[in-house]
Amino acid sequence: MDEPTLYLADVRYRYPTGEEALRGVTLSVGAGERVGLIGPNGAGKSTLLLAIAGFVPAAGTVRLAGHTLSRATVGHVRSHLGLVFQDPDDQLFMPRVGDDVAFGPSTMGLNPHEVHMRVHEALEAVDLEGYEMRAPYHLSVGEKRRAAIATVLAMRPQVLALDEPSANLDPRGRRRLIELLRGMPNTMLVVGHDLDMILEVCGRTVLLDGGRVVADGPSGEILADRTLLESHGLELPLGLAALRNQK
Amino acid sequence: MLDHFASGASPVHRLDPAAKTVAALAAVLATVLVGRGHFLPLAPVAAALAVYHAIGRVPLKYSAKRLLICSPFAAAAAVLFPLLEPGKAVWAATLGGWTVAVTEEGLLRAADIVSKFFLCVWAVLLLLSTTRFQDMITALGRLRVPRILVTQMAFMYRYLWVLSDEAMRLRIARAARDCGYGSWRLRMRSTTAVVGMLFLRTLDRSERIYRAMAARGFDGRMGVAHAEKMRATDWLFAIAAIAAAAGIVAWDRLAYA
Repeated sequence: MDEPTLYLADVRYRYPTGEEALRGVTLSVGAGERVGLIGPNGAGKSTLLLAIAGFVPAAGTVRLAGHTLSRATVGHVRSHLGLVFQDPDDQLFMPRVGDDVAFGPSTMGLNPHEVHMRVHEALEAVDLEGYEMRAPYHLSVGEKRRAAIATVLAMRPQVLALDEPSANLDPRGRRRLIELLRGMPNTMLVVGHDLDMILEVCGRTVLLDGGRVVADGPSGEILADRTLLESHGLELPLGLAALRNQK
Repeated sequence: MLDHFASGASPVHRLDPAAKTVAALAAVLATVLVGRGHFLPLAPVAAALAVYHAIGRVPLKYSAKRLLICSPFAAAAAVLFPLLEPGKAVWAATLGGWTVAVTEEGLLRAADIVSKFFLCVWAVLLLLSTTRFQDMITALGRLRVPRILVTQMAFMYRYLWVLSDEAMRLRIARAARDCGYGSWRLRMRSTTAVVGMLFLRTLDRSERIYRAMAARGFDGRMGVAHAEKMRATDWLFAIAAIAAAAGIVAWDRLAYA
């Protein structure tokens, strides 16, 4: 039996204030699978990403690319998890895009030549060739988002975890991002409220609410279930709603 | 954080913040105006603070911790003054031509500075831990502290968390890609970059906040909604504090004349 690329078992986390953010999340994601993680605000989506990366001390088991998350393996796990944060300004902290993309590979201990190659390859993958010397601060939101994705692609992660990747993008920027994600071979975890995008990008959707998985299945089924979505503070994707109205 | 125990309900919590601020100021002034090396006149200041501490039920562990945080400044004085002050040596060592001597005058001076430092910090600490920060800001405004200072303090208090959140997000984003094999230079470079980015973002945020405030008619004045009235007890407390401070200073001047 193939081991799943990402495996979570009964992941629980309680904020220091006592609120329960995750109440036993169990999930397994196979190699190459693209999974959409949806749910209302405060459902625990972002917290789950932080828990997988070991940023919040959650109880339960997290296994990623054959490593069980622990104090000793957290560096390993993070190097296999490409975490793309909601706000690209958080992600891009170096003075030049090239330096920023090089940061991850450099901390992996690769030699300068290899780092250079990875930077080139990653920027090419997100259509930002020649942006090495640009200041992240002066890019457009769409460019920043793609640069942020490049910073983790350069580490060749097993799993790409994106938090609200289409937020604040104009339609063209969003379309470009969707095509980009669809063309990538990586295992992917896409968190977001842009259900139309998730429908296009992800074959499978997991609905989270109150820190628990409430539904898990093919995107075409879950995202078409109006009753399910509405009872968890979501709405039918516009694309599907329009189709229905035509009938 | 700053005013962690400020929402208590003891009699000193109920005192008017302006009266408490004046009293704390009086305690600080009395402490620093007492002559160098005169420890006896400091005793009533310490006693008054101790009584206030007890009435306000400020946890001892909490205040001890805060005092420790401020202590490096006093520690520097405690170490340096005995060595630097000229006078009668009580202990000396010669190290290759250099003579290091601990002098009696130096020790006295160090003890003086350390004790006064702790009394002053203690007084301010008690004020902060029995007064809500917002109330104190209002009180400072009533005491005619320049508006720009008061506004700045109010903003500092409001945005300290926002700023530390921002710093934390940047740190997490960096740690997410840090596998621990990077060189020392890279680490330093990325740390400075994070600090620089934090500065840029703070600047941007302040601009946004200002615009949002200006859009709602901000003209440099922070609204003081409820101007509190000093009660008789508040007047009594403030006047007693000033009188006691004046008495201590006068006693010191006369006794050691």
